[in-house]
Amino acid sequence: MIIEILKLLIIPGIFFLFTLALFYQWLDRRFLARLQNRRGPMHTGSHGTLQPLADFIKLLAKEDIEPEAVDKPVFRGVPILLSTISITALFFIPIWGVKAFVHFEGDLIFMTFLMTLIAILAFLGGWSSTNRFSTIGGLRAAMQTLGYEVPLSLAFIGPAIVAKSLSISKIVEWQASTGIWAIILNPLGFGIAIIALLAELEKVPFDLPEAETELVAGWQTEFSGRKLALLRFAFDLELVLAAGLITSLFLGGPAGPFYNIPWVGVIWFFIKTTIVVLILSNLRGLFARFRIDQMVSGCWKYLVPLAIIQIIFLQLVLG
Amino acid sequence: MSNSTYKVPIGPQHPALKEPENFLLTVDGEEIIDVKIRLGYVHRGGEKAFENRTYVQGLYLIERVCGICAMAHQLCYVNNLEPMMDVEAPPRAQYIRTIVAELERVHSHLLWLGVAAHEIGFDTLFMYCWRDREVSLDLMEMITGNRVLHAANTIGGVRRDLTADMISKTRKGIALLKKRTEYYKKLVLAEKTILKRALGVGILSTKDAAELCAVGPTARASNVKKDVRKDDPYSAYDEIPFNLITYDLCDVASRVLVRVDELIESANIIEYSLDHLPTGPIGVRAPRSIPPGENVSIVEAPRGEDIHYCKSNGTDKPERYKVRAPTLGNWASMAKMLIGGYVADVPITLAAIDPCMSCTDRVAFIDANSGKNWIWSTEQIKKYSKKNGGR
Amino acid sequence: MAMERELLRHLVKKPATIIYPFESPEPIEGTRAKVEIDILKCIGCGTCIHDCPAYALEMVGKGLTCDMKWYPGRCVFCGQCVESCPRNAIKQTAEHDLATTESVESAGMMSERFVEFNRPKKE
Repeated sequence: MIIEILKLLIIPGIFFLFTLALFYQWLDRRFLARLQNRRGPMHTGSHGTLQPLADFIKLLAKEDIEPEAVDKPVFRGVPILLSTISITALFFIPIWGVKAFVHFEGDLIFMTFLMTLIAILAFLGGWSSTNRFSTIGGLRAAMQTLGYEVPLSLAFIGPAIVAKSLSISKIVEWQASTGIWAIILNPLGFGIAIIALLAELEKVPFDLPEAETELVAGWQTEFSGRKLALLRFAFDLELVLAAGLITSLFLGGPAGPFYNIPWVGVIWFFIKTTIVVLILSNLRGLFARFRIDQMVSGCWKYLVPLAIIQIIFLQLVLG
Repeated sequence: MSNSTYKVPIGPQHPALKEPENFLLTVDGEEIIDVKIRLGYVHRGGEKAFENRTYVQGLYLIERVCGICAMAHQLCYVNNLEPMMDVEAPPRAQYIRTIVAELERVHSHLLWLGVAAHEIGFDTLFMYCWRDREVSLDLMEMITGNRVLHAANTIGGVRRDLTADMISKTRKGIALLKKRTEYYKKLVLAEKTILKRALGVGILSTKDAAELCAVGPTARASNVKKDVRKDDPYSAYDEIPFNLITYDLCDVASRVLVRVDELIESANIIEYSLDHLPTGPIGVRAPRSIPPGENVSIVEAPRGEDIHYCKSNGTDKPERYKVRAPTLGNWASMAKMLIGGYVADVPITLAAIDPCMSCTDRVAFIDANSGKNWIWSTEQIKKYSKKNGGR
Repeated sequence: MAMERELLRHLVKKPATIIYPFESPEPIEGTRAKVEIDILKCIGCGTCIHDCPAYALEMVGKGLTCDMKWYPGRCVFCGQCVESCPRNAIKQTAEHDLATTESVESAGMMSERFVEFNRPKKE
């Protein structure tokens, strides 16, 4: 019992995820900066590693302004719910071993549900702000969901078909036991999942809901102080979630040589997620932002047919 | 107005705008159906300030009209005053003026390319452009002494001569910039996401551009052959061969391409001027006061034609000095470009004319209902502001 | 995707940014910065004051016995005074680090701070 609680709190629980989230934010910022011939964060901590933590603490200490016109319960609830849901979703990702902290048959479906919930919360956050920029940002977030949700789910189905299970842990277990990573059978699915997750994370080229030059900060415009700190923290957790999901579903999760020995699995997981984060930040530096109509129609025109082709291909191969 | 429309204010404070200006968009969903532009937030009383300053002091005040086209404004100022004083700058000075003016165009267009990239969310291109712009800024610091607000001209010549060392360094810098510009051109044509946001956005037809008196690269991107450097050459432009660049796509992509090609053309002009730099003095002595008279001069600033008017009264201070910054010529066509577009395209359409708002802002008192206009003194403005709760 | 190669090329390149307070950019010769007045050469004609566009120079006293004040907060570093001086008493150095850490009573005082150039007085 005590061990379970310790696991929940420290590793692979909340403390570990918190550190990982802040570290990946730093990695993302630093890597993008180097691609753009800049330096990125560099003063707080060694090479700026503590900068995300400093930002987090600073935002917590800042004045929390709540405009009069906002719908208070929803406005207050969104940041809390967003970070809780992100943490909850992360417990379904196998980090320590091939089994996640929480797992049951069908948790992949639950995971897609949680990810949709995140987008709906973004919409609610924008709507409850009643600010024009927030409202448009929220609407765009909802609109974007229509675009990426279907290809994302279809891409997730691929590994599930391969492993003949709808549980993330089972899929990882199958990859660990057979030694075949799902990416080998799902190269298209991997690409589609990466693109769709970029949209889920609201990063360039799909940062429409918070397009800085168009909508100030989009649906987050009115959030400040503690709420903004929580929101930003939730985004960092989402980044871990996205990288973790890709790792588990396509790259075999903690599987790798000697993964059964304690700590080795975590190290494999860490290496793989780092690579995924680097791919994501590389893509961030590569494109201009799409327009919302281009984004949605592009998703339906290219991503959905490709995802279907991927599934047909799998059916043919596995027969 | 039906219920489905919705008013979105862009500005006065908005991240897409680098300076305060207000655009009230009436939108239907994401489509814009009407635009109201409101100017005048950063009126600085510059024209009045000229009346209290001597012509020498005005030389530095005129640069402050616009930090980015400082050289163009100063060049227009000296071109305006020199005929009135009956002096002429020697050929070497004219060539140095041309070189600095073109370097400034390089810096301004690179800055614009970066801003445009930022507006469509392409921050990597923005970072690269601004980094490369440093090269031209450093060259200008070496030649004139300052990075921006160069203070390169004086009435009757330029203030610093080009040495052999400077010439070789400039050549090197220009070669680098040319290489980078060619890369950017290739990139703009190859990168799909840029083209998706630029092609067919902010259309201004050739007819509209001519009718609404669009100026500079905005007009040239709509296939209007209009460039003061060709039409009414000043400084050394009549001796330098260069191409007038026009594109006929009439959209944002066309404006990007015009500017990128102008960058290469500017580099060629600088190289030609360095090759054909005449020897001789760099300035002549100019009188301090001007006999009564008036004059107008036009210069092609990086953003378009810049018109200055001066009226003298025999003293060492002008009686009236009027500046028409290039952006003012583009506001009318701006509204035309926005209507029918998407809200998401507003920032890039706005940025595409390379607006410089505080250069343009003037104040006039007009009663919108009766169309009556009047003039107020400072005291009257203060009284009005106090009455309405100001301090 | 047209930029991928360029991005990766920059990954191994040194960043263009300079960590300013710890390393400063190479000074460029001929930069217009701090104004210095050789008060012994000054004849107190007042041309520099007449020409200064920012009213950043002030004369205390008259003619050959005058002292000069320069207000860095008002100066726009155009260098007109250097050119106007008939005796070449004013020169501009490339020293651009003019900010101080001295406390100033209010921000408005910045333009009121000045550098004094005093003529040695005969006993």
